[in-house]
Amino acid sequence: MPFDLMSLDAPFAALKAYDWGADAAAFKTIDDAVVAAHGDAVLRADLEKRLAMILGAGTSRAAKEYACRKLMMIGTAASVPALAALLKNADNSHMARFALERISAPEAAQALRDALGSVQGNLRIGMIESLGGRGDAASVPELARLLSADPPVAAAAATALGHIHTPEALAALSAADPLAGSGVGRAVVDARLASAEALLAAGKRVDAQRVYQTLADAVKGKPGAKAVELAAARGILACLDTLAATS
Amino acid sequence: MRFVLCCLALFHVLLCVERAPAADPVAAVIDLLSRDDPDFRAIGLERIRYAAQGEAATRQFADMLAKQPPGRQVELLRALADRGDKAAIPAVISLLTAAKDPAVRSAAIALLGSVGGGAEVAVLKQSLASGDPERAAAKRALVVLRGDEAVSQLTSVARSGEVGLRALAIDILAERRARAAVPAFVAAATDADAAVRGAAMRALGKLGGPDEVPAMVQGFLEAAAGTERNDAEKALVAVCTDNPGKERSAESFLAIFKATAEADREALLSPLGRIGGPRALAIVDDLLADPAKRDLGLKALTRWPDATVTPKLLELLGTTQNPAEREMLLGALIRIAPLPDNKFNDKQKLDLVVKIMPLCQTDAERAKLLERVNAIRTVETFRFVLPYVDQPALAEPACKSVVELAHHRNLRDAHKDEFTKALDKVIATTKNPEFVERANRYKEGKTWERK
Repeated sequence: MPFDLMSLDAPFAALKAYDWGADAAAFKTIDDAVVAAHGDAVLRADLEKRLAMILGAGTSRAAKEYACRKLMMIGTAASVPALAALLKNADNSHMARFALERISAPEAAQALRDALGSVQGNLRIGMIESLGGRGDAASVPELARLLSADPPVAAAAATALGHIHTPEALAALSAADPLAGSGVGRAVVDARLASAEALLAAGKRVDAQRVYQTLADAVKGKPGAKAVELAAARGILACLDTLAATS
Repeated sequence: MRFVLCCLALFHVLLCVERAPAADPVAAVIDLLSRDDPDFRAIGLERIRYAAQGEAATRQFADMLAKQPPGRQVELLRALADRGDKAAIPAVISLLTAAKDPAVRSAAIALLGSVGGGAEVAVLKQSLASGDPERAAAKRALVVLRGDEAVSQLTSVARSGEVGLRALAIDILAERRARAAVPAFVAAATDADAAVRGAAMRALGKLGGPDEVPAMVQGFLEAAAGTERNDAEKALVAVCTDNPGKERSAESFLAIFKATAEADREALLSPLGRIGGPRALAIVDDLLADPAKRDLGLKALTRWPDATVTPKLLELLGTTQNPAEREMLLGALIRIAPLPDNKFNDKQKLDLVVKIMPLCQTDAERAKLLERVNAIRTVETFRFVLPYVDQPALAEPACKSVVELAHHRNLRDAHKDEFTKALDKVIATTKNPEFVERANRYKEGKTWERK
């Protein structure tokens, strides 16, 4: 039985006026509609349009957050502009990213990349994390460039690159200093180890071993780097065992 | 942007033409084991334990043993033992032949025990003849050594090995619970060597059943008076009261008892009393009825394992005029009354204690009864004991029982007010600092750990 679109009018009217502390029971109909929308393109489009409208001016932060959560589940390229408009707003940026990070449309990734160059501080770090979370290969050059930015941004960029399992991301990480200070080196090490583990899990034993070996060579005998050497040694042995088991 | 991408791609290509990574997991582990840093060695040892599979790898690891200093030999031996591959054995035996360090020798022996089989019995047997810790390690290794062949070889040692090793082999077989070796234990129960006899009786006490009772009785009779006889009795009683088939074992014992020559019967009275049962009691009744054998009957009766003989003991106590007999019978009643043998419930046990108390003629006897009674853990027992705290001659044993009963939180908490007052009384009365400490702790709801 098709979902009655008219039944959404009252809940969305309530959502427009909603703020924290108010009764959220009326939104049960919206929640049900979101579930029903998975097999109903018309309902999904209608819902997405209504939710995107909530993101506009005149609604509370609470209402916008609710809409972002729902768009995270049913959003498409159509809701990207409304979400992208929130990325520069300190109050709403996080929840907008929450949705954009999970909307599979390439427009969502583009919106995050576009915002990366126009925000600073924690908002920028947030964009970097979301691009990493998406595993966005197209953002590698910019993330690689940010490895030489200020330490918090550089560390976030390294972590993000560790989530993007492409040769280019790995090359960028391999060029970064695993012994850099202010937490950047630690992030670079973690990212390189994460990349190697991903390669090993994907059956690319030789590539994984090379990453571990390069890391081990880079930190060998350096003060404070013993834990990294140990992790790399353990990784190399895991690669060799995989080889022995498959040969 | 395009320039950056090109640079990254070029860097990746350069990475790929770097030297090819090592491909031999065994060589990599060996390299780690050569490090001085124990954390790196630990990674290598972990791989030996759980990875780098295959006999060839095991042999390579084991071949390292000879070149290591003792401390590293021990850690490598332990890792190889956990690896559990027999391929390490030849190198370990070579090491055992040459090594002098006791820790290395013990670790090598432990490895042979955990991965070896019957073929390693001969080597381990040699270590049994040395002193501790090597001997203890060899004993443990022979206990855990796998396979029927190990049992048959150990059985051969138990039957006809060197004098010093036979008893040890029997102990090891018993610890292995090797039922196949029971015939060898039976044969050894009457051996000329006391150590072998003792080990065989201990082993039969663990693994014996009805079929072994005749040999055990013979072993008991041949045991030298004193410790050996007492231990043999314990083993015989265990077979007849605890082991599988205990009822048939007890019947077998009684049949043997009846058929035994008069001269040996006296020795068997002690186990007879400890084995108990109605048929044994009938035998004891016959003995008691014969003035010439009354002492033997009393001796058996006072060793009875449960409270079924209480009426008989009370009856005899009421009629005897002999002070030594009276003392023996009263001692038996005091021992039996609170026994946790399920023959009496708690109320019946306490009723018996109440009945015994007036039969006690000295404070020493009363004190013994008061000390035993705390095994009946009821509030009624507590109320029975408490008044004796006021009697100077019996105050200490009474205080002890009050404190012992208070030790049980459920009992204490269910009657908190009564116990608090009683514990205050104990604190004011006793001269024993341990009782004072315990009473104070229990009042505060704390526990107390027995030293």
